[in-house]
Amino acid sequence: MTVDWSWIGDHTDELTSLTVSHLQAALTAVLFGVLISLPLAVIAHRIRPLRGFLLGFSNVLFTIPSIAIFVLLLPVSGLTRTTTVIGLTVYTLVVLLRNTVEGLDSVPAKTKEAAKAMGTRPLRTLLTVEFPLALPVIMAGVRIATVMSISLVSVATYIGDGGLGQLFTDGFQRNFPTPVIVGVVLTILLAVVADALLVALQYVLTPWRRRRA
Amino acid sequence: MYELLKNLGTWLTSGAQWTGPDGITHRLAEHLQYSLLATLIAAAIGLPLGLLIGHTGKGAFVAINLSSFGRALPTVGLVVLVFLAGGLSMLPVYVALVALAVPAIVTNTYAGMSAVDPDVRDAARGQGMRGHQVLFQVELPLALPLIMTGLRLALIQVVATATIAAYVSFGGLGRYVFDGLAQRDLVQVLGGALLVAVVAVALDLALSGLQRHLFRHRTA
Amino acid sequence: MNRRTLLGGLFAAASVPALSACASGVTSLNGQGSASGGGGSSKGGVTIGTANFTENQVLGYLYAAVLKQAGVKVTVRPNLGTREIVIPALRSGDIDLLPEYQGALLNYLDPKATASEEGAMQNALTLALPAGLQILPYGTAEDSDAFVVTRETAKKYALTSLADLRKQNGRLVVGAAPEVKKRRVGAVGLKDVYGVEFKEFKSLDSDGPLVKGALKKGDVDVANLFTTDTDIEANGWVVLTDPENLIPSQHIVPLIADRKADDTVRKALARLGNVLTTAQLTELNRLVDKDKKDPEEVAGAYARQHGLSK
Repeated sequence: MTVDWSWIGDHTDELTSLTVSHLQAALTAVLFGVLISLPLAVIAHRIRPLRGFLLGFSNVLFTIPSIAIFVLLLPVSGLTRTTTVIGLTVYTLVVLLRNTVEGLDSVPAKTKEAAKAMGTRPLRTLLTVEFPLALPVIMAGVRIATVMSISLVSVATYIGDGGLGQLFTDGFQRNFPTPVIVGVVLTILLAVVADALLVALQYVLTPWRRRRA
Repeated sequence: MYELLKNLGTWLTSGAQWTGPDGITHRLAEHLQYSLLATLIAAAIGLPLGLLIGHTGKGAFVAINLSSFGRALPTVGLVVLVFLAGGLSMLPVYVALVALAVPAIVTNTYAGMSAVDPDVRDAARGQGMRGHQVLFQVELPLALPLIMTGLRLALIQVVATATIAAYVSFGGLGRYVFDGLAQRDLVQVLGGALLVAVVAVALDLALSGLQRHLFRHRTA
Repeated sequence: MNRRTLLGGLFAAASVPALSACASGVTSLNGQGSASGGGGSSKGGVTIGTANFTENQVLGYLYAAVLKQAGVKVTVRPNLGTREIVIPALRSGDIDLLPEYQGALLNYLDPKATASEEGAMQNALTLALPAGLQILPYGTAEDSDAFVVTRETAKKYALTSLADLRKQNGRLVVGAAPEVKKRRVGAVGLKDVYGVEFKEFKSLDSDGPLVKGALKKGDVDVANLFTTDTDIEANGWVVLTDPENLIPSQHIVPLIADRKADDTVRKALARLGNVLTTAQLTELNRLVDKDKKDPEEVAGAYARQHGLSK
């Protein structure tokens, strides 16, 4: 199996646009996942009975094969990018919900009590005390969700989308390894870079942990 | 929506759907076979690796970041690549599933090993135990809960992903998803997806129950 | 009531039919109905979708090349999936134009249809198509389904036609794309017309690496391929003949949404249809599959060579 380097050289435009499309799908899904999981996590964290239900339900969702979710969404949103993003968001949501709840759980009760004793209202406590302290665990979730999302986008090639995943279908149909190799390498590269950027972001967002070191 | 669910009920309960080469029983058996074998192979690779890194402390960077890398690997791409290299066989499927399972096993095994109280290790060495004795008689038993968690997580992930076997013409529950997709038969797709989810959740519950039972006497 | 109010009222009353016509589409005013396709326009751009096999992509890019030459803004969405996925996308507006095959399309729309000659099929198709879609005149080039066996298999079981398969009922394994199991030009029709029953149906792909690999390896005895695939000749495979005409004429025909069908599009696609021959299409497929050229590049080069675009 050899790589046709000239093919790569000839297709830089296409590779760039596929990479951009791929990244856009993955990041949109993570963004929506964060937006939806934050309030849900607070609910799960605060309201005991709902917690089991929300976490349990999301665990079950996670076991549904991604290809199936994409296909089942077809009649809902058609052969469009929307379908891909909704499908991806299901998975990012599960990961983010889990980690955000865990993060909120990890905030020491004493800290919350201190805030309450100082007269801080619950919402303010949530925003200025709980979330910042939960940030490391939440960010771990964002990292996992982002990397997973970048990998999952290629599954959407079965419904005509797929970003870099289209290189896999193409290579498969024509017995042509080069686009497949390029697709795998680029996907991994994207994920590694995104992960590194998120680590940097976490470093920036949690100055109090830096000072301790 | 209601129509879909009603048809799904018919599909799941019709006797014909359960028998024959395309029946649920057969596909389920295939799916479990792929999943269990892949996890076994992954354990054969991942356990020794995790134990070694945990015991010697060297290569911790690998153990910690292997999960990230493994998560980034696009399963479809890997399957196609191995298929193009090696032809039509179950090899691409197993390579992809093992690649998916190994990181979870290594990371959790390493986590289990590194959680062993260093004092306990010192005490063991102080008693004159040699390296491998410390590993097998002290560290491994203590790390066992997390190791089992790793195996369980790996198995669940593999079960959910073994649908990929159908992409390269093989069986398993993924056959329902891919055939349903091609035939625009949503009932089949939904049926396949549901069965995978049920199997994964059932295995998860059974194994965590087993874990709890096995380690019921342990504190902390 | 003064004059101003009266005029205002008349104006309002007159604008109601005009406004409702705008809302429901121009076609309701000219009364021809969407079947004849009056009132489409390609001005907003045309999205071409293609199914999940090489030839359809080549055709899609050929359409794109000639439409671009005619000044239409074109987007191509390649490799979307099977007909069962792509046609609903056409109806819902996710795509506007699709290269199709007469016989296969007719079987998809109307499994009971029996027309098998080009002209009759064109009429049958027009009747069978749902509102909002239409077919344009069919082109010269043709690509049919073929049921293929290796030379060894043909000798072993004395197979020359599809009818011969019946003698081996329950013994042979057939490989095809999953959707073929339910199609008339597929397992269903083979049973109805020839009484053929296979030992097993293996879900593989549309004349792709899976089905051809399986045929080579012997995992399947009969494979469903396409007549424009040069691998058939290259491997010495035998195409089983079709005495009962189960496999109808399969000229390539553009399937388009009414809202995009205008004269510019019609003319451009008609020119292509008249120029492209089956042999040329086969060669284009070969360039993409064997020489690993891009379908877009290959289509563009062809269009330029044959004066269909600059």
